[in-house]
Amino acid sequence: MSGDRVAVEAAAVHVPGIAPERLIASATEPDCGPDEAHTLLGRKGLLFKEPAVRIAMCAVHRALGLPPGRPAAPVPGAAGTAVVVSSNLGNVATVCDIVDQVRAGGLRGVSPMQAPNASSNIIASSIAIRYGFTGPNLMVCSGATGGLDALRLGALLVRSGRAPRVVVVGAEPADETATSLRAAAGLPPGPPQGIAACVVLAPAERPGGVRLHSVRRHRAPEPIPAGGPRTVRLACGTGFGPADDDVAALVGAGYGATGVLQAALATRWLTDPATRPAGVDEAAEAMLTCGSAGDGFATARLYRDGAGT
Amino acid sequence: MPLAITGSAMRTSLGDTAETYQALLAGESGRQPLRYVAPEGVNVRYGYHVDATGPERPYRASAWLTECVTAAAREAGLDCARQRVVAIVGTGLRELRAVERWRADGQPADLGALHFGAAVRAALPGVEEVVTVSNACSASSHALALAADLIELDEADAVLACGADAMTESMLAMIGRVGDESSDAVRPFDADRRGVLLGDGAVAVVVQRAPETGAAVRLRGVGMSCDAYHETAPDPDGLRAAMTDAYRRAGLRPADVGLVLAHGTGTALNDPTEAGVLAGLFADAEPGPLVTGIKGAVGHTSGSAGLMSLLVAVEALRHGQVPPVVGLRTPIAEAAPLNLVVGEPVDTDARVAQVNAFGFGGVNAVCLVEVRRER
Repeated sequence: MSGDRVAVEAAAVHVPGIAPERLIASATEPDCGPDEAHTLLGRKGLLFKEPAVRIAMCAVHRALGLPPGRPAAPVPGAAGTAVVVSSNLGNVATVCDIVDQVRAGGLRGVSPMQAPNASSNIIASSIAIRYGFTGPNLMVCSGATGGLDALRLGALLVRSGRAPRVVVVGAEPADETATSLRAAAGLPPGPPQGIAACVVLAPAERPGGVRLHSVRRHRAPEPIPAGGPRTVRLACGTGFGPADDDVAALVGAGYGATGVLQAALATRWLTDPATRPAGVDEAAEAMLTCGSAGDGFATARLYRDGAGT
Repeated sequence: MPLAITGSAMRTSLGDTAETYQALLAGESGRQPLRYVAPEGVNVRYGYHVDATGPERPYRASAWLTECVTAAAREAGLDCARQRVVAIVGTGLRELRAVERWRADGQPADLGALHFGAAVRAALPGVEEVVTVSNACSASSHALALAADLIELDEADAVLACGADAMTESMLAMIGRVGDESSDAVRPFDADRRGVLLGDGAVAVVVQRAPETGAAVRLRGVGMSCDAYHETAPDPDGLRAAMTDAYRRAGLRPADVGLVLAHGTGTALNDPTEAGVLAGLFADAEPGPLVTGIKGAVGHTSGSAGLMSLLVAVEALRHGQVPPVVGLRTPIAEAAPLNLVVGEPVDTDARVAQVNAFGFGGVNAVCLVEVRRER
């Protein structure tokens, strides 16, 4: 897809367990982990919520700029707001936990409260319920391209007029089951308490701000072109770019969250110099690539409107 | 922009599209004793399986999907070298069965095969963009809505909207745990319904821009909504919102619809809620549409259910014969205002059908499809 009609209205990353300034240079407070999510989200409604759901909600909460605590009513503009979430491993712990109990002959020990968590769309629906988002609600489980697939579908919902605002989220947990599955697949381990990010898309109605130019899928990784305007480049899984770069390695470990994390970071970096960590320079556009040899690749382009590109 | 369905295929416990439709007309059910999972462990004794014999095949939803994509693409004459072809696969359960067998049985797990990119490319190697949308029991209908948007915005020339699901032990366990007693069969809208059972299968539908004349099957519109209400209980307002959205997009009124393929899961909560919403929707439409459903015959095929219902609706409109709700004997009181098809098929000259799909998390998608028949 391509087109300049989609604005990135807000962006937040939530990566507990790492020094926050590694991603957002101006950040001073560490991001709360899934077990401390109540400090941001309030206690109510978190019981039986999986780690990926909790940190995904934290990212949404911060992107929306909400004060700590559970909203007592749907947040402003909630009606019709769409949600698109990417996660591959969000519910594997629940699935395995249920099977463990069944195989041990303990079906009665399975809590009916776990039932919704067995469904892969629990992150997307939980966000809708908490914030009152009644627009289309999509859960993308597309492997390593999932984060940018979610961004692409979010843009589609904006451009088709299905939603006046789309909350796009990427989240992967770091529970024992997810970690073992990643290791078995040869994926790099992610941050110790999981990884989440959120960008809010809306129709571009005013000049300025960051726009989503395009997202496209491609089979093979593409080399970085020489020359051209200064560009924030985040690529993972491609074999191109500085693999040992601290930020790149961290972002690259996001699996289904990576594309959204890239988009959230690029949005912040393009708009606020204070957020740029060492090695990230002033630029007016961003090229973001995520994927893997098996899943294929996706590349998104973002730019700062009015910067002459 | 008018949209056409130019190719399709499905695989259920009753066979392909034609076989499934014929079996539905005959009132048959694909129900079998539960395979692959110990029934006593999950408190579920029956399933609607596609593979009738042999040991459990890993990644079988992917295999059925590859078959369906191959057949649907062939019927539509897709050519990835000349057309921009995108695939959106809706699924409730992904290939999570592989994760279960990795955990409990020491089988290898391939993370890249939990979603359906490779399964689609096995049939159509030229498709770059395959997105797996795991939207519970309405996933494939959500895929259809996105397909319609991609064509209307000219972001693709053809979109494969698909569904693929093979039942998982964890979802069986939740069904067995939540129900008071073990269901013996899916009985949609029946006073004696005992809950849902799962079915296996896959489905693929090709959506393209309709030619000026001659499109036999038109996709008129797909509405989406989210209840934002409860993780598992349906909300009448959310169901109505998806229906209102579908009618607005299609430029149709409820009185234009002659057939409804209901979600109809045979559960305590869905059936009265859905029946009440349908009764309200068609309150002013005399005599109101015929209402049927497929889950009594093929089980609840999770994310694939919506598009399977769509293909049965198309067959019913095409042949002018609506199959009965298999398993339904005595309708619930909430369904009294509805023209439920009970026992025998009913003839129809309807041209437009409404197809419901509702999922866990309150994710709803409603399709309106039109068949132009030779008369």
